[in-house]
Amino acid sequence: MATLALAAVTRSYLRRSGGGRRESFAALGPLDLTIGDGEFVALIGASGCGKSTVLRLLAGLDAPTSGAVLINGLPPRALQAQHALGLAFQEHALLPWRSVAGNLRLPFELAGIPATTERIVELISLAGLAGFEHARPAELSGGMRQRVAIARALALRPKLLLLDEPFGALDAVTRRRMNFELQRIWLEGRPTTLMVTHSVEEAVLLADRVLVLTERPGRLRSDTRVPFARPRPTQLMRSAEFHQLVDELTASLERA
Amino acid sequence: MRLRGLIYPLVGCALLLCAWELVGRHEMLGDTFPALSQVLRVFGDVPRRALLIRSAAATMASAAVGYALGACLGAAVALLAHWVPLLRGGLDRMAVLVNALPVIALAPVLIITAGRQDTPAALAAVPVFFLLYTSTGVGLRGASQRLEMVFTTLGASRWQRLAKFEIVAAVPAVLSGMKIAASGAMIGTIVGEWFGAPSGLGVVVLNSMQNFQIPLLWATVMVIAVITLSGYGVLSLAERAARSRIGACDA
Repeated sequence: MATLALAAVTRSYLRRSGGGRRESFAALGPLDLTIGDGEFVALIGASGCGKSTVLRLLAGLDAPTSGAVLINGLPPRALQAQHALGLAFQEHALLPWRSVAGNLRLPFELAGIPATTERIVELISLAGLAGFEHARPAELSGGMRQRVAIARALALRPKLLLLDEPFGALDAVTRRRMNFELQRIWLEGRPTTLMVTHSVEEAVLLADRVLVLTERPGRLRSDTRVPFARPRPTQLMRSAEFHQLVDELTASLERA
Repeated sequence: MRLRGLIYPLVGCALLLCAWELVGRHEMLGDTFPALSQVLRVFGDVPRRALLIRSAAATMASAAVGYALGACLGAAVALLAHWVPLLRGGLDRMAVLVNALPVIALAPVLIITAGRQDTPAALAAVPVFFLLYTSTGVGLRGASQRLEMVFTTLGASRWQRLAKFEIVAAVPAVLSGMKIAASGAMIGTIVGEWFGAPSGLGVVVLNSMQNFQIPLLWATVMVIAVITLSGYGVLSLAERAARSRIGACDA
């Protein structure tokens, strides 16, 4: 499994100022962060605070301007090469010409691991899509596509699962249902997970820890442990403790 | 709805053909503008029909060879530019240069290098090369950014990314280029034939013009139009099929 460490990480970008000169502006950090093995961490913060940058750094899609990003003591690219990274975006990003089963086979093909029929069937039932094996993404609803994308991210039993607003494009009812689906799926393997979200409720419902980032450049504002036992039932969302935590975090977010 | 979409263009075409017949029959635009029926009669005449069939076969053979050559070369060079980004700037400029050369100015050079027999195919290949180079490049670069990221995080090799994703995603753009290239190949072939090819529709056009065989000239042009439009039509259908299956990468 995976332990993550961000040490004094900053990320700045070059942009053209009004006079046409290039100037650097800080998007993130400095940020120090450790995430333990098997932890589910949610990252919240205002738009443009660098949440997605943290995720991209951990995915090895971007490099820090200064500081170090380490996963099990190695740079993220090492995890890519081990085929031990799962990533799902707000938009599903499936191959439109492949069926559900074909899309789920992709990680195996890229890793050079034979995709057994049993494992594919298992993933399809994990995504709750039995009977849709041969459907193409265009024939599925938004929620179904998103479940395929998450199942694909989990296909190789990754050490690290990265979720970038995975339910951001869904309507409220579907989103709530998908939250519980994700909890169910996650509990089966408990990979170390970092989820970026805009929804405080979603963060509290799913995560072991909720991190709040400040406005740009994003720094750690608060780090809150979520005490509720798993699996968390729907009733939890109506409890006073749940609401109190959501309110505290919302307040922290507003101060950010 | 579908039927109506078909009826309007058909009625429009029928009206145009009737107008053609009337204008020709009454020589409203002079005696070099024959009536439709006069042109169609050419196809009923056995020796002239045989000439047209023989010539069309020669032209289509040249166009097909040039098309295949230009398309393969264009797509291959575009893949090379995609694989080795360092080469792209230079290859882009070379492609623009190839396109900037007027086909008609290139023809005499080809006649003395490639010979009369092969010039039509060579001239057909030039515009096809450019169009395929451009459209393949656009298709390869237009692949969805998010899917690129998915492939990166899943640890895909450069080769896997190309074979399983970028090439497939480029197919609609490539077919779109092939569709436009069909008429480009035909133009190149006909121009190439004017410079003294042994046979072909371009040769018939030239000869019938110089010998004042007006209906034959028109009939030949009609054959050229039908060949070009059929190529365009078939490739349009292929493109549409590919788009519905492969396109909408971001849907």
